[in-house]
Amino acid sequence: MIKVNNRDFQWEQGMTVDDIMKIKKFSWPKIIVKINGQHVEEEDYKTRIVNDGDDVQMLHLLAGG
Amino acid sequence: MVKYLAKDDLKCIQCGTCEEVCSSAYFKTKDRFKSCIQINEEQGKPEISVCSQCGKCIDICPVMAISRDKQGIVRINKKICVGCFMCVGFCPELSMRQHDDYIEPFKCIACGLCAKKCPTGAISMAEKDDSQSQELKLDKLFNK
Amino acid sequence: MDIKVLRDNHKLLAEYKYELGKIDKGYTGRSLFVNISENKIESKPVSQMMKDKFVGGKGFGLWYLWNATTPSTKWNDPENEIIICGGPVCGITQYPGSGKSLVCSISPATDMPIDSNVGGYFGPLLKFSGWDALELQGKSEKDIIIVIDGNNGTVRIEEASLEAVDGHVLGEQLTEMYADNEEDKRNVAVVTAGSGAEHTRMGLLNFTFYDPRRKVARLKQAGRGGIGTVFRDKKVKALVVKFSSVKGDLNNPFDQGILNRTGIKLHKEVHDLDPKQNNMRKIGTANIIEVMDEYDLLPVMNYQYGNHPDTQKIKSTVFIDKYITQGVQDGCWYGCSLACAKAADNFLLKTGPYKGHKVTVDGPEYENAAGLGSNCAIFDPEGILELNFYCDTYGIDTISFGTATAFAMECYERGIINKEITGGLELNFGNFDSAAQLLHQMSKGEGFGVVVGQGIHRMKELFAEKYGADADFLFDIGMEQKGLEYSEYGSKESLAQQGGYGLTNKGPQHDEAWLIFMDMVNNQIPTFEDKAEALHYFPMFRTWFGLYGLCKLPWNDIAPANNKFTSEPAKIPEHVQNYLDIVYGVTGKRLGTDDMVRESERVYNFQRIFNIRLGKGLRKNDKTPYRSMGPVTKEEYESRQERYDGQLKEKIGYDVTGKTTEEKMAVLRSYREDQYEKLTDAVYKRRGWNSNGVPTIEHLKELGMDLPELIEVVKGLQ
Repeated sequence: MIKVNNRDFQWEQGMTVDDIMKIKKFSWPKIIVKINGQHVEEEDYKTRIVNDGDDVQMLHLLAGG
Repeated sequence: MVKYLAKDDLKCIQCGTCEEVCSSAYFKTKDRFKSCIQINEEQGKPEISVCSQCGKCIDICPVMAISRDKQGIVRINKKICVGCFMCVGFCPELSMRQHDDYIEPFKCIACGLCAKKCPTGAISMAEKDDSQSQELKLDKLFNK
Repeated sequence: MDIKVLRDNHKLLAEYKYELGKIDKGYTGRSLFVNISENKIESKPVSQMMKDKFVGGKGFGLWYLWNATTPSTKWNDPENEIIICGGPVCGITQYPGSGKSLVCSISPATDMPIDSNVGGYFGPLLKFSGWDALELQGKSEKDIIIVIDGNNGTVRIEEASLEAVDGHVLGEQLTEMYADNEEDKRNVAVVTAGSGAEHTRMGLLNFTFYDPRRKVARLKQAGRGGIGTVFRDKKVKALVVKFSSVKGDLNNPFDQGILNRTGIKLHKEVHDLDPKQNNMRKIGTANIIEVMDEYDLLPVMNYQYGNHPDTQKIKSTVFIDKYITQGVQDGCWYGCSLACAKAADNFLLKTGPYKGHKVTVDGPEYENAAGLGSNCAIFDPEGILELNFYCDTYGIDTISFGTATAFAMECYERGIINKEITGGLELNFGNFDSAAQLLHQMSKGEGFGVVVGQGIHRMKELFAEKYGADADFLFDIGMEQKGLEYSEYGSKESLAQQGGYGLTNKGPQHDEAWLIFMDMVNNQIPTFEDKAEALHYFPMFRTWFGLYGLCKLPWNDIAPANNKFTSEPAKIPEHVQNYLDIVYGVTGKRLGTDDMVRESERVYNFQRIFNIRLGKGLRKNDKTPYRSMGPVTKEEYESRQERYDGQLKEKIGYDVTGKTTEEKMAVLRSYREDQYEKLTDAVYKRRGWNSNGVPTIEHLKELGMDLPELIEVVKGLQ
């Protein structure tokens, strides 16, 4: 189990940041990703592996018409 | 054809002559920040920053103060300009200039004065094909 | 019709000559007062007290409105005013989004003050012509226009009977009439309403800006709250201002260099990052249509649902690829590199009086695509553009029209109203023809369109009283509050946004706070206190734009590359600093972030007390329809059963096994309604209000807003 935005999220072996974003359907172009407080750059989303127990934050920058 | 100032960074010796010539001609002063051509240094090597007459700024201007003249040179009509400086922010060459003493931007108009004085031939007058002009064709765009 | 014929027919009713004057650090120091009952035109000084306590923009507008009206003033009384004011920063050309006008009036929809923030050139040109604000009072017997000539220093009231009423025609006619030549057209700005504003309570004002490339007088809208209805009720056809020598330093700023540097910095940021972020330059606010759908936030079928498979037919790329002209500078004031004022050119109209015309449609903005499109289940890009066009030219607010039509459609689908009542219109979801018919009826003042045009608040009363509908059910599904229709976001899963809509001064419009991502997705503000803090900070921060004549979009529809490394990325700290810098650059006033909030608090609390003075503005007025909070119907619950069942278990510890949908709905509802009440308590407390939503005298003292006339209103409610 990991945390995504402070909510429980089912973890799987080998899961990447990009995998989580796909499952959560996070398509907003301005998302800040942090794992255990460390920033993850967009170009690393597909390769950055998330480990069991990680605290993942995917902060959507607010906007709106 | 489009007249423009061609450059060769490798030949530049950073003597600053072009900047002096330009600001003297343009603003009657010797001040590199008032020169349309500016010599910068990028990782220890000289870099000549000057307008390529690409025309990107033509579409950015909200009041159509920027246009291409018969020689293909991109010019600013300062009477119309409203001083928004969007053209400065959007110039792909970062060679549209702004100085706080003036409320309009300024740019290289390929007059060639600096090229005549350049001791190494790092800058020279040249011409290129119209097809490299990047501005929109408005008539075509709006079917007018 | 020949422009000369139109002009020759004008009858001069009053003329006023004035000294042109000079702007000093963003202020002209005077306002133009025009009373059209008496054909009186005069200059009023702007006092230091006004600058200190109200700053400008909607602050000035509300102050003038307060002084002009009484506790019993109705929207159509002659003393009601329309005030247009930019604010001290309005008119600078270097920083994106700095040409906004704020319009204030007593609203025919809400019967209390409304304020609307609009682009176009009127506000800046009004200031350059010598006036911080235009204060318009009275009612004319015949159709008039008011013409301010900032080149020669004259103001004229002219009877104008032959001109068109519809915005896109009238805007062109008057631009042509008052411009010396083609090049001069951008120096003429026109304010119009439209024919639909005459027969509805959702009339808007169009503010023109002449587009020299398209050669069209483009339109931006002061949309919300029916100010166009007031305008036509006063028999004003148009306002015209002309000023022909705009330059980048006319505000006579304290420090032009700061404006130049800050502006160029943002231009570069937009150039480098907008294509990777919101694509504002390509599609404007409509970039989020498909995003909202993916997050289950897009209003579908009167906010019953948050997404729909057909959204792909109206997603932003459809508009970019097929309709919206790309690469043209689309700012609604000079210097806006974000350029979100998009337009579809050569669009062939299929219905109505302009059928067969090829027109430029300003839009679609997100709100239009969602309100006219998904919310009415009209998943047709050309349908959306056509409704968008007619709303604008008829002077009808797209948001109120979209939300009210969606409500009428749901009532029709549920048999609350029928074909007999609608005069034959089949108001099923997705029926573009019927929606267009409603709009054309609003223009002509006939049929069921006039009923829908009164807005949801009045439709609910009518349907219950006349057609025996269940008033409670209508209250649940009618997406209005305080008389104003909701804007186009589903707020069911974000308690903070329910407050962002419900706990507002003018009604449920997201311009005070849009907290859905922070709350629902990011889970950044979990406690009531966290949400209350956000519902204090953001409404104050966003009110501030309206005091200075600024647009909110360049604040957070673009973000610096390093924004993610800041302590509070949601606030976009570097951009907040930019604003403090440009205010310093213009006025010489060095503000900190706390001062910014404080300036807004003064005006925000003033507006709240203004509402109270008019018999509103209390806790009972902040109650919201349940459709904004949770599933009203079985279909809604069951469509997202997993989510709701899960919440019942996790949040309330309620065992859902063997329970009927009705039982579960009742438990969920009682929980969510209780949450909203608790949120209300927390927000009122944070804002310095008592539990009835009334600003405390102590708080007013702290803000320096303990003016005797304000204390008079609140002292009996402490």
